[in-house]
Amino acid sequence: MTRPLPSAVVSDLSEIVGRRHVITDPDRLLVYESDGLTAYRIPPRAVVLPASTEEISAVVEVLHRKGVAVIPRGAGTGLSGGALSTPGGVIVGMARMNRILTIDPENRIARAQPGVINAHLTEATSPYGLYYPPDPSSQSACTLGGNVAENSGGPHCLKYGVTARYVTGLTVVLAGGRVMQLGGVGRDPYTTLDLVGLFVGSEGCFGIATEIEIRLLPITEGVRTLLGIFESVESAGRAVTKIIASGLMPAAVEIVDGPTIQAVEASVFAAGYPLEAGAALVIEFDGTEAGLDLDADRAEGYCLEEGAIEVQRATDPEHRTKLWRARKKAFGAMGRIAPDLLVQDATVPRTKLPEVLAGIDDIGSRYGLKIANVFHAGDGNLHPNILFDRQNQKELELVERASKEIMQLCVDAGGTITGEHGVGLDKREYMTLVYGPAELQAMAAAKQVFDPDSLFNPGKVLPEVEGAELGVAMKASTVS
Amino acid sequence: MRVDPADSLSEILPAEAFGHSVPASLSAALRTDVESVVAPGSPEEVAALLRWASKTAVGVVPVGTGAHTYPRYPSDPFVVLTTSRLTEIGHYEPADLTLTASAGARVGDLSTAMAVHGQWLPFDPPDVPNRTLGGLVAAGLSGPLWAGYGQLRNHVLGATVVCGDGRVLKLGGRVVKNVAGFDILKPMVGSRGDLAVITSLTVRLFPLPAVDRLLIVEASDISELVSTARAIATAPVMPASIVLSSTSVGGRLLVRLHGVSDSVGADQRRLEEHTSVSFDIRNVYELGDLLEGERDRDITGEFAVRLWALPSRIDELLVAVGQIPGVNLTADVYGGSVRVYLPDNLSDIKSVLMRLREDVENLGGTIRALRVPAEVDAFSYFTKPLVDERELATGLKQVFDPHGVLWRVE
Repeated sequence: MTRPLPSAVVSDLSEIVGRRHVITDPDRLLVYESDGLTAYRIPPRAVVLPASTEEISAVVEVLHRKGVAVIPRGAGTGLSGGALSTPGGVIVGMARMNRILTIDPENRIARAQPGVINAHLTEATSPYGLYYPPDPSSQSACTLGGNVAENSGGPHCLKYGVTARYVTGLTVVLAGGRVMQLGGVGRDPYTTLDLVGLFVGSEGCFGIATEIEIRLLPITEGVRTLLGIFESVESAGRAVTKIIASGLMPAAVEIVDGPTIQAVEASVFAAGYPLEAGAALVIEFDGTEAGLDLDADRAEGYCLEEGAIEVQRATDPEHRTKLWRARKKAFGAMGRIAPDLLVQDATVPRTKLPEVLAGIDDIGSRYGLKIANVFHAGDGNLHPNILFDRQNQKELELVERASKEIMQLCVDAGGTITGEHGVGLDKREYMTLVYGPAELQAMAAAKQVFDPDSLFNPGKVLPEVEGAELGVAMKASTVS
Repeated sequence: MRVDPADSLSEILPAEAFGHSVPASLSAALRTDVESVVAPGSPEEVAALLRWASKTAVGVVPVGTGAHTYPRYPSDPFVVLTTSRLTEIGHYEPADLTLTASAGARVGDLSTAMAVHGQWLPFDPPDVPNRTLGGLVAAGLSGPLWAGYGQLRNHVLGATVVCGDGRVLKLGGRVVKNVAGFDILKPMVGSRGDLAVITSLTVRLFPLPAVDRLLIVEASDISELVSTARAIATAPVMPASIVLSSTSVGGRLLVRLHGVSDSVGADQRRLEEHTSVSFDIRNVYELGDLLEGERDRDITGEFAVRLWALPSRIDELLVAVGQIPGVNLTADVYGGSVRVYLPDNLSDIKSVLMRLREDVENLGGTIRALRVPAEVDAFSYFTKPLVDERELATGLKQVFDPHGVLWRVE
């Protein structure tokens, strides 16, 4: 049972944000006991919902003065346990920090609060002919602040890059409630060290971004979407290699494998894919209308050369939506196959995809686990989805062992343990697969520059053993 | 005290590390004579040098070729560390569009290797072929092509660096998407050697464009081109770069379009409709010379600064610059930066710089020294980091270079 916050602290917080924005009722706190990775559940002592940089600063000041850990949280859609509370910690939610502050079409930048939903930014900027490229699968729910914390990607980051490419400046609240300005598009980015780049992807462990300056791009004139159906993932993978090596630059290249297709076709999201297909390859080109058919023709040719059974091309937005359906609805459809799903995330060099996929298949067979693969094939970002039943304790243990083997397999292939979901709580122990003590110590020391007492999201990202040595272990609240 | 590397370092570095030279321009940038140059041949040798320097309180000035170092003041005594022996191309997998190379590899040599596979590193700062990969990354230079390709910092995937105290760190990796751990690689890019010595890098490559078209407009007064340039920067077309530069007869606007033949032709037509301007089009043979000339203009000049402001204020930047007699300039219209080349014989240099700094900072912008004459202090006339940023940067400096062997953080 989590200890409640002392009434004096609740009172101080209420004075800042209003009593209705300080949640202490245990039933209401249940909503915040996990993020998108439901395997971990820790209820916070309280949730505070400030509405301005000043309020966030004051809230952090009160909590840090009492030695209470602060866990920043956007929409809670993250898949690594990053927005999970620390025992004794308080979640500072961004739900009320949901305003787009300025849109500056002349300079193609916007300034927004962290609770703005990703897709809402593009909705707001599209009348100016501009959009925000990073498009994580959860973009209709996830927030810009969460995207900054995780350095989020999405299918179209193959061509357009991830969040860090678009964040040009930040207002941040650091330890003790101190407010700082970092960067800004009107300043030489190398007047000092790239602090904005360091803050992006820090998973809420450095502080809270309270205003985000974002670069926008002009909406592309045209789009062509292709769907190639293949007998096997290997042949689809070879087509991808051929497309990329040819010099084409697709906006997105995604693969869903046979088990995923079967799950989708058995669900309400059925898209009409052949059930016997081994893989479906979605390829999208965008840009100036005049060049797109040529690009699409070449890509289609490479698919057919590699044995595609058929290649469809979207001719209108509805058709495009349909071709994307299996990719976009894959995770939801898997609920039909098993009650629980562990969405893994790792990246390997694109040329290693065939051998790594075969290795994952082998791991699934050895552990008797069903693994369905959905992945960003263009940049080698894999999402092996392990299907299981959490009520079956033995199966749960097998899932953990299989997960670790998959991570090791990806690292051995020259890859890494996470391409876009972050380390959070879930992958801390895998960090030693990719980094040695010197690198981990340097990361811990960098965190201490921003957060000397480790009161922002402690116990995340860095592994526990090294963390304990480095003074960043998950710490319980010291407030009585 | 003068450091004699032969005496002090011969026990920790092999004979091949000695006897190297750097350009005379490095002494001008450092405002002092360079007497000791060492060229370690591996990260381990770099680490040995830095550990020795930490123990003996000798400063280390890391350079690539040494031809592009910004004006700064090394501690006394110091040795220059050149990466001229770190030139290996480690791992190049064209199908992955990634390349790993040692920091001292020349960009021009890498470009030759990449071009065989129809690939390139799409960055075009001045004199880029003669820069080292490590120098390019340490300076954080992207050039105007970042409009179409994003900044260099977003395409550095991994690095091996040696911290000021000799710790060797392997950061990032060789995959395009990687969010494992805090991104302590990012502050290395553009840190100009403040934190660590970069010994190898993995970078993302791009396919060479099928068509690289240059659109040109010239005018007798550069100010006549500003509104056209800004209209292009806000058009629903994404050029690879937009450069505005002064010429002997006025000004010139250069717009680069990349793509396939159909798309480039369509983009040109859309830009012409959007701006009501008819562009002169250059073929690829002219394009190379013209672009290189533009990119490398005045690289041997003694006096150059970089201004930066919101792109929409570039007209005001040009007005401020226009008050200085005899200047030349090259502006990255999409990014909002202007390279200003000042005459070496400018009278009353200090008051000119003070006025320029005031004008630029009143626009919310910044001014930095690229090359300044010996009588101009390398810091006094240029924009300081924000107080908060400086505090954090100083903290990071302590993490990576606890003994202050490398440069001071500005």
